[in-house]
Amino acid sequence: MLPKPDTFPIDMAPLKSTLAMPYTLTPGRAVGTFLAEIAKKRIVGSKFKKSGVVVIPAQDFCPVSGDKEFDFVEAPSTGTLTGFTETESGLIGMIRIDGSEFDFVHRIVNATLADLHIGDRVEVVWASETAQSMLAIAGFKPAPGAPIGVVRPLSDTAEPIETIPYELALHYEHAFGPYYGRLFDEIKTNRRIMGVRTPDGLGAFLPPREVCDVTHLPTGTWVEVKQTGTVRAMSIINLRFVGQTQEPPYIYAEIILDGASTRLIHNVAGLDMSRAKEIVKPGTRVRAVWRDQRTGSLADISHFEVIDNEKS
Amino acid sequence: MARWVGIVGVGQTHHSRRRTDVSQAGLVREAVDRALADAKLTIEDIDSVIVASGPVLFAAVNQPEKWVADAINASMKPVVRITSGGGTGFAGALAGYYQIAGGLAERVLVVAYDKLSEGALQYSISTLYDPFWGREFAVGIMGFSAAYWRARMDVLGHTEEAAAMVAVKNRRNAIKNPYAHVKKEVTVEEVLKSKPLAWPIKQLDVPPISDGAAAIVLSSEKFAAKSTDRPAFIQGMGYFCEADNAPERSLLVSEPLAIAARRVYRAAGITNPRRQFDVVEVQEPYTCFELSYYESLGLCSPGEAAALIASGATAVEGDIPVNPSGGCAGANPIGAAGLIRLIEGAAQVMGKSEGIQIKGAQRALVQSGGGWANLRGVAVLAA
Repeated sequence: MLPKPDTFPIDMAPLKSTLAMPYTLTPGRAVGTFLAEIAKKRIVGSKFKKSGVVVIPAQDFCPVSGDKEFDFVEAPSTGTLTGFTETESGLIGMIRIDGSEFDFVHRIVNATLADLHIGDRVEVVWASETAQSMLAIAGFKPAPGAPIGVVRPLSDTAEPIETIPYELALHYEHAFGPYYGRLFDEIKTNRRIMGVRTPDGLGAFLPPREVCDVTHLPTGTWVEVKQTGTVRAMSIINLRFVGQTQEPPYIYAEIILDGASTRLIHNVAGLDMSRAKEIVKPGTRVRAVWRDQRTGSLADISHFEVIDNEKS
Repeated sequence: MARWVGIVGVGQTHHSRRRTDVSQAGLVREAVDRALADAKLTIEDIDSVIVASGPVLFAAVNQPEKWVADAINASMKPVVRITSGGGTGFAGALAGYYQIAGGLAERVLVVAYDKLSEGALQYSISTLYDPFWGREFAVGIMGFSAAYWRARMDVLGHTEEAAAMVAVKNRRNAIKNPYAHVKKEVTVEEVLKSKPLAWPIKQLDVPPISDGAAAIVLSSEKFAAKSTDRPAFIQGMGYFCEADNAPERSLLVSEPLAIAARRVYRAAGITNPRRQFDVVEVQEPYTCFELSYYESLGLCSPGEAAALIASGATAVEGDIPVNPSGGCAGANPIGAAGLIRLIEGAAQVMGKSEGIQIKGAQRALVQSGGGWANLRGVAVLAA
């Protein structure tokens, strides 16, 4: 059992963070063809040559046999409901198109939950606007007594869509906990950088933590580290990339603050960038420059500046 | 007592910057078909499957193994996914090795892939940083890697010229590798003059961004004969970790790699790596890493890497050829890269390299790694 941390809980709202980035997804030949055809109001499946299995929407590989040789087939617009539920955004159901051996999920329209039964006959409802996505189909509506449709061979298909633009935005709330809580509260309120002592009492962990990574002993009491330090490693960033938080060129630096035993990652700035290689090196002395805004994060430090003519 | 395990079949895709004609699952299928054909087996002969791929953020598909399993007809078999950043493919092979060595399977298929053309690479990689502590300053691992290369310059003499020689060597070797997609010879001067991205790292120190997949079939000794009379037996294999931001972490020599090498060498009876290995495959996401690995792997002493590359010893005609495949410089589908290094090492000792075959190669050293620098693996392969 670990001892309780030698610190006090701080009521800090979690750190909100969002990861958002663009993608270009590749559906492959079968799904790419399905998507190209669905915009033309035609539902395409694949019929695998060896197993004879039909999968609608089309897939590249037979889910039963792994077979990769297939012919495209044109699917009927009718099918059977094999499962359903109601969600905040409406009814959704598992649909098995006539002739297919597999189900897929889509919306159920023109119906209420009480109307639906497993095994109900359904029919496609096309969206008013065509789209190269599953949403070219608005949903499936109940079609009592609809005759069983037939899968037909298809010789000529549209060129498959090769890439699909996509966006992902994931929202997180990270809890500070007692150590990060005090660290960032002190940064915000007192403009102090606080670590905890290493078990031998000689250095300090920054960021502070409960257990020493090397000895696994409990760490010591809180200690303020200096706002000056030494560059241990540095790189001049010219690369541009999605999600970058500042304009290149800038200096990425790993800095050991005086009194700390571990590294802090930040930027060294406020210098003539054309001479960056000679001005900033491993061993260069730097000092934190605070911003006026207080957010309670490492970004409260604007950057580190090079210390000229330091007195020893 | 662990059982002997051999690599009995290998396969990889023809890697490229962007494959828009196949899905992620289709890419994997290509590599699997090649590996199974190479091992003269079908998926029916496989007891267990390991799917190794990089972070979900790379391609926005969570639990891709469910998709991949259908595409390779692995449903109803034991399937697990392994992920470990750059070391993903190597870690996947290690998981397969454990299953056979422990007697729980006779044949394991390991597939590893990434389709890097689909997402935002550096941003995705930057999420390996602590969201409270440093992520906003992260430049993938490129900023970090460049910063410590700069530190090694002063202490260990890993100069920009020495790293440029690594680029020249690996890019030349990649020209003969049929699966590489960057095939262009460069000179030291061109590397030094190439566009700085995260100085000292420049454009030609950096591997391409690739779509690609790789697969191997691992087999127990008993079942290997059906596939080949010359398996690449694993004489030792390990993957070690060090603390993320610990007080005594120097980052100048790779400590976890040195530990992995020491342990694996002991298992494989290696006392003089430079003399005992015929060929080496290292995963060098940037040229500076290859210099560092020479030292951590004991091919030379710390501080001698620049002299080692300059001597030509690690060229294909040298006494300890490193990356005759071209390494990551030829193709770098990150999740597959560690497995590709194992494939290239195995192909050398099996005498069937499709690129540059090192004559009479009997024992290969393979290195891989993930994280920013805190996960490092080593394997020794011998025919």
